Amino acid sequence: MTLVEALSRALVGLAGATGAGWLVSRPVTWGLTRRERFAWALASGLLVQAVALLALLAIGVRPSGWRLLLLEAIAGGLALAALRRRPEAAALERRADSSLLAWLLLGVAALAWLVFLGESVADGMWGTDFLAFWGYKGKIVFLTSGLPRRLFQDPALYFAHREYPLLVSLSLAALAAFVGRWNDQAIALLYPVCALATLLALSGFLERRVSRLAGAGAAALAALCAFLYKAGNAGTAEIPFALSAVLASSAAIDWLSRDRAANPWRLALASLFCAALKQEGTLFAVLLAAVLWLKTRGEGLAPRRRRLAVAALVLPALAHWILLYLLRGNQTRRDFDFTLFTPERWRELPALFALVAGRFLRIGWTEALVPILAIVVIFLVTRRGMAAPILPVFPTQIFFYAVAFTVSSFDPLYAIDGAFRRITMSLFPAFTLVLCSRETR
Amino acid sequence: MEPPPRALDAKTRARAARLSLAAIAYAVLAVSLLSPVQPAVTKTRLERLGSALRGDPTYRPENMGFWFDADYLAFLDDLDRRLPKTPALTVAVLVPRNPDLYRFQANYRLAPRRVVEERWKDEADAVATYRTEAGRGPGGEPVAGGWLWTRPSR
Repeated sequence: MTLVEALSRALVGLAGATGAGWLVSRPVTWGLTRRERFAWALASGLLVQAVALLALLAIGVRPSGWRLLLLEAIAGGLALAALRRRPEAAALERRADSSLLAWLLLGVAALAWLVFLGESVADGMWGTDFLAFWGYKGKIVFLTSGLPRRLFQDPALYFAHREYPLLVSLSLAALAAFVGRWNDQAIALLYPVCALATLLALSGFLERRVSRLAGAGAAALAALCAFLYKAGNAGTAEIPFALSAVLASSAAIDWLSRDRAANPWRLALASLFCAALKQEGTLFAVLLAAVLWLKTRGEGLAPRRRRLAVAALVLPALAHWILLYLLRGNQTRRDFDFTLFTPERWRELPALFALVAGRFLRIGWTEALVPILAIVVIFLVTRRGMAAPILPVFPTQIFFYAVAFTVSSFDPLYAIDGAFRRITMSLFPAFTLVLCSRETR
Repeated sequence: MEPPPRALDAKTRARAARLSLAAIAYAVLAVSLLSPVQPAVTKTRLERLGSALRGDPTYRPENMGFWFDADYLAFLDDLDRRLPKTPALTVAVLVPRNPDLYRFQANYRLAPRRVVEERWKDEADAVATYRTEAGRGPGGEPVAGGWLWTRPSR
């Protein structure tokens, strides 16, 4: 099979998922821009595709592209039949500015994305995390047409993070079913498609809520983020997680500014997508819930509305955790030494935290001083925009990363050097919502 | 009452200055985000993609994953050919401890077989060694860069 043929088959898999996701998410995305709806469709579609794959595995049928497409079509058809009534329409608020600069920035974003596309599929995926667990689990699921208990119980797989969510691995296995073999070059297409959805979600959302220039600027900034969109990150969960964080953030901003029935549903969908991708996704959803709750205190919002938003963010993540628990049993968190939280060891925590914070500061000073200063200047010369309320989520998430590194089972500095940049930069696309929605005064 | 024209001018100038500063900061941020880009590496990768799309017979997609030891791929390929492709088979792969990619690549490339380290070699149907003195003994057969011992079916 040629690479072109394998890529085409993977593309059919992604298109099928997006088509099903379009129909499933349609009731809650009505009124959004087409670009946002594509992003929501991909996110929903990946969830539908994973469920379809698990359903086939559960009944002992070998997954194939046709079978998955059939199940996706059934899911889409059921969603269409269940909601024939035209869903509640949120008026589009297009800002009619069409500057040359906006088009130029969209061109930059498109060019950067094309380079990432080429780089992602130029080789088989080779990132350490891909080989050790995301890709490994996907390959085992595809080759065995099952979800072997060994993945969760074999002591020889101590390094394979048995506690991690499975959506990335299941998506890779589903795409391999479309290709017809485990071709880790063709199925890498998942990553540029997720990147594209992220850029479209950013530009569509900000164009709807702020201006075309703001949307184009955010898309360009995110696309140029070579810390995230690089070939080495194809095969990991960071790039899909960046999409989930953008969707969750945009849903939260919409919820803050208007009371529409679809908003909590979008929050719930984004929360499920976040949690199914990464443990950090669950943290992001919970922090977003906390920020929405705290930021709307005393603003005269109906308590029911506030409770609904928190429930929409927390319950899907919790339900996902319970499902995963039932599927794989209790798993120890090999990365963390929780005995550090016992009273006898409390005294060790300050020194460890200082070590971690010092490393964070050193990385910031030696590697990220220019971008940090640029962000500070942007904040100083512009006024808070409509995304300002969700700003605390980002530093708080990074604070919890510091806590996690503090109780690391391994040398915290080794853990930071291996993961900190990657996991932090996966928040950057969502952060551009805050950055590019700011107003000049 | 309208503010005097001079005050308006000062306001407009201050706003223009802030706008310019913001534009420069956004541009600096955008350029700084590109710092990990290595144009030569990107160019090479895009050329490799071009040759893959053209169907170049010399192209192999796994090269990047073996940056730590280019010969290791041939060893794993050889094992892959010789050992039955079944999840029921356990193979102990004895490889250098560092980098841990030796173990991860063995697990990944030999899947769906169960791949274990030396400490579980008693459970293995086959033992393979690569660039290590461990597991040396009679009866093995040479494979690319190492040795392979297979036990009779248990």
